[in-house]
Amino acid sequence: MPDQKIDVQKIFWVMGIGLLFLLLPRFLPRFYVYLTALILLTGLLATSLNLVLGFGGMYQFHHAVFYGVGAYSLALMLTKSGLPVWTGFIAAPLISAIVGYIIGLICVRLSKLYFGMLQISLGSLVWAIVFRWYSFTGGDDGIHGIPLPKILSVSHGAYYFTLIITAISLYLMFRIVHSPFGRTFQAIRDNPERCEAIGIHVRRHQLAGEVIAGFFAGIAGTLFVTVEASVFPDLMFWTLSLEILIMCLLGGWFTFFGPMLGAAIMVILRTFVGIYTEYWTLILGIVLMLLIFFMPDGVLGMIQKAGGRGDGVKGNHRL
Amino acid sequence: MHGFISQISLPSLLQQILVGLSRTTILFIVASGLSLVLGVLRIPNLAHGSFYMIGAFLTYSVAAAVGGKAGFWVAMVAAPIGVALISLVMERGLFCHLYDREHLMLLLFTFSFTLVFGDLVKIIWGSDFRSVSIPPVFQGSLSIFGLPLPRYNLFLLVIGPLVALGLWILTQKTKIGKIARAAAVDREMVGAVGINVSLVFSAVFVIGCFLAGLGGALVAPTQNITQGMDHSIIMEAFLIVIVGGLGNIWGALLGALIFGLTDAVGILLWPQFAIVFPYAVVVTILMFRPRGLLKSTW
Amino acid sequence: MKRAFGMFVCEMVFIVLMVAPLVAADPIKVGIVDCYTGPPSTYTNDVRDAFQLAVDKINAKGGVLGRKIEFTTRDSKFKVDLGLSAAKELIMREKVNLLMGTINSAEALAISDLCKTEKIPLLVTFSKSDAITGEKGHRYVFSMNENTSMAGKAAAVALSKKPYTKYWIGGDDYEYGHAIADGVWQNLKKLKPDVELLGQTWWKVGESDFTPFITAMISAKPDAVIIATGGKNCVPFLKAAETTGFNKRVPFYMHTATELSTLQPLGMDAPEGVLGTSNYFFYYPDSPENKEFVKEFQQAFGRPPKVGALYGYITAAFIAKAYEKAGTIDTEKFIDALEGMTVDSPVGKLTIRPYDHQVMLPMFMGVTQKSPGYDFLIASDIITISGEDVMPTIEEIKKSRGQ
Repeated sequence: MPDQKIDVQKIFWVMGIGLLFLLLPRFLPRFYVYLTALILLTGLLATSLNLVLGFGGMYQFHHAVFYGVGAYSLALMLTKSGLPVWTGFIAAPLISAIVGYIIGLICVRLSKLYFGMLQISLGSLVWAIVFRWYSFTGGDDGIHGIPLPKILSVSHGAYYFTLIITAISLYLMFRIVHSPFGRTFQAIRDNPERCEAIGIHVRRHQLAGEVIAGFFAGIAGTLFVTVEASVFPDLMFWTLSLEILIMCLLGGWFTFFGPMLGAAIMVILRTFVGIYTEYWTLILGIVLMLLIFFMPDGVLGMIQKAGGRGDGVKGNHRL
Repeated sequence: MHGFISQISLPSLLQQILVGLSRTTILFIVASGLSLVLGVLRIPNLAHGSFYMIGAFLTYSVAAAVGGKAGFWVAMVAAPIGVALISLVMERGLFCHLYDREHLMLLLFTFSFTLVFGDLVKIIWGSDFRSVSIPPVFQGSLSIFGLPLPRYNLFLLVIGPLVALGLWILTQKTKIGKIARAAAVDREMVGAVGINVSLVFSAVFVIGCFLAGLGGALVAPTQNITQGMDHSIIMEAFLIVIVGGLGNIWGALLGALIFGLTDAVGILLWPQFAIVFPYAVVVTILMFRPRGLLKSTW
Repeated sequence: MKRAFGMFVCEMVFIVLMVAPLVAADPIKVGIVDCYTGPPSTYTNDVRDAFQLAVDKINAKGGVLGRKIEFTTRDSKFKVDLGLSAAKELIMREKVNLLMGTINSAEALAISDLCKTEKIPLLVTFSKSDAITGEKGHRYVFSMNENTSMAGKAAAVALSKKPYTKYWIGGDDYEYGHAIADGVWQNLKKLKPDVELLGQTWWKVGESDFTPFITAMISAKPDAVIIATGGKNCVPFLKAAETTGFNKRVPFYMHTATELSTLQPLGMDAPEGVLGTSNYFFYYPDSPENKEFVKEFQQAFGRPPKVGALYGYITAAFIAKAYEKAGTIDTEKFIDALEGMTVDSPVGKLTIRPYDHQVMLPMFMGVTQKSPGYDFLIASDIITISGEDVMPTIEEIKKSRGQ
């Protein structure tokens, strides 16, 4: 099996990248370490969206809700409950998953654009409640200065925590995509009618996908709280959902690591172009247009396509 | 500090409804344009909100440039046409190459336009608030049972049904409307009988965007013309279209009415969570009628 | 003659020797995080421009402690996450000495919390949440503008002198609206116990047509109405008030109704007789300091200064004077110097209250009126409510901080 050889190569790659990220704070200034953490957690969020978007073909228009719910759950548990700190970190993604289940239950009966719009309405409902419920969520002012466990507030604690959790989450999602479930999921994306015909319960699979995506978005939300110690209603506003969609598209939504790359591009673009001009959204808009015109598979999708042609690798196994 | 509007008399209720309906007019005009583009071309056009905003800003600029009493009326005609021209360039230059792409791609493509238009508006018109005067004929209010009803709102109440009627004639009675409806169902078929589908699509896109510009022009005298107008309208317009039924003009009208009403009722019932009501209504409707209230005509 | 020339040369050499190392000293870096996109930018651009005007003047005189003041801006687009990461970028990468901004309360509170842990001073310009220097106040945060409780108190002081007893409240259904309304009403009840609240009307954020709300309020027949709406909503509200004749039927008060950013876009379409409060008018006070400031601002930017310009200008003045007094660029000494500091401004002397780091700004209440020479309405019959009178008491601050 040639696979064995590839696997060894892969292990080296993964170890190398892992080592690089572990040593990052040694030689990078503090701001870049923070930025890396931000990219990692945003990338995790985009990857979780891509589970249902790229691999499931579902129009997940309001993914930010699960992110926001995760972040708010943790923030509220840390500030308002006397529960042990780490229960918050475990409970928050679970709450996001439950919200994913509820929203999924209502939405999966519909498809494509209707699915997306219903999800936007449901998500906006959650947003509106958070935005208005001053006594509980802090309303539009949000909650700031969230007390974090000591280990996270010491130097680079938040970074290492983000790195480890992101790595584990990515590994788990990668396994899910390449599991029998993941393959069925992709088959549903490519041809839902045929899958239905051969006895696959399409909606149940989509619902499961929604729960999984919600769970990992919730993890990304807790990481946001870890890094920024703040929550606010913007975290679940529909414009953020569109931004995450763009990240997936930018990086390549038929690839596993594309959204990660897309998130990195977006965060870096807005941080560094933002230093020189207020008009970075104009630049982003033009970049996006060019991309859709000339690189509809995204950056990573394009690279892999070009590389894939050279190696003669068939398209279905996408990294 | 939350209270209820305690004294609701019949005249004030009537007056509320009339004023609410005139706001519905704007929503309807914008949503119907969106619905048209979505129904025929299958483009979820997020830039529709940008066209609405540009329509309002153009109205301001034209009215200021022409000046006097005529300014408003010239602007009312020129602004939507200006918007239509921009959309024509967009459609011929870019969109017509992308019709076979997935919805999601088109959605993001139009979103990139909102980013570009947003910044262009900022560059061209700056950050100050802009306001257009109501034309003298419609200034002030009529008194209905002792309560003021702005004349301009009455004007809007007349415009709304006129636009609806015009659209109905356009889609049902004219050749272009019939072709468009047929093309929406089966592009290849229409193409096969020797009709240039691309041009029909172009016309529909331009008409849709014209309506966004018209909405912006009509709303200009009642509102603060600022950046960010695009954001506030586009989500509402999309929800209206979805609730009413894609591509259905009467659906857009019904959706706009429902939105206008729930807004008012929500504030009466539970002011603290009034912003929740429109979303809750959409969710409820889509749960029972997953494809909107009225049938997609296309 | 020859000797005088020699003296002159000596002096020149001396000056060059003195100044050269000073000029070479590192500049004082100020980072501004604010929203420069969307409706709020009509306010924030004035803060930035006036700050620039003041800083240019300071630098032209040789700067502070021989250092130039440099500043750099970041557009947060009214998004808290963007503001927060921009603030981190300015602190960690640009290594700014202090931060300024923002108009978004949530953003200001988030950055304030960051500044607390990073020990970087934050001078808030324009965010009106009273939590910034109240409940969430700390050593490193200062407010350069009025807040909701100050505006509320000022309005209450002025309204208590009017003969109205039956009130109605209407406003934007979000933090700012409720905070203003609460501020006015709580203080008004204290000052004039016989006032009565007939009812309230709240509209959603982003509401654009106010006619139905106005008629609902008219039909309740109150003596006066308190309108708690802000920002871009002021313009359409006043427009609807003019169209429906609201101002002629019921007197109403609206914070910022008299501000230039509200009245200028409306031109002659604004209603007369509306009560409003603001920290600043370019035509009032009619003092030489204000006239000088308006002239300079007009010359530099081709428009009269709005209220944000006052905030930007005094922020620069406070920064320069505090470093001067501290004698060093050490942050802790800078903060010590800033506490209780007084500067001259276009509206007179202004002091930072040491306890809560709030600038004690006077509030001007006026009535909108057409005036010859202006193609928009201006505030007239202006009364000044002094800074001391509008500030929440230190006991109130302590109470809100749970002390």
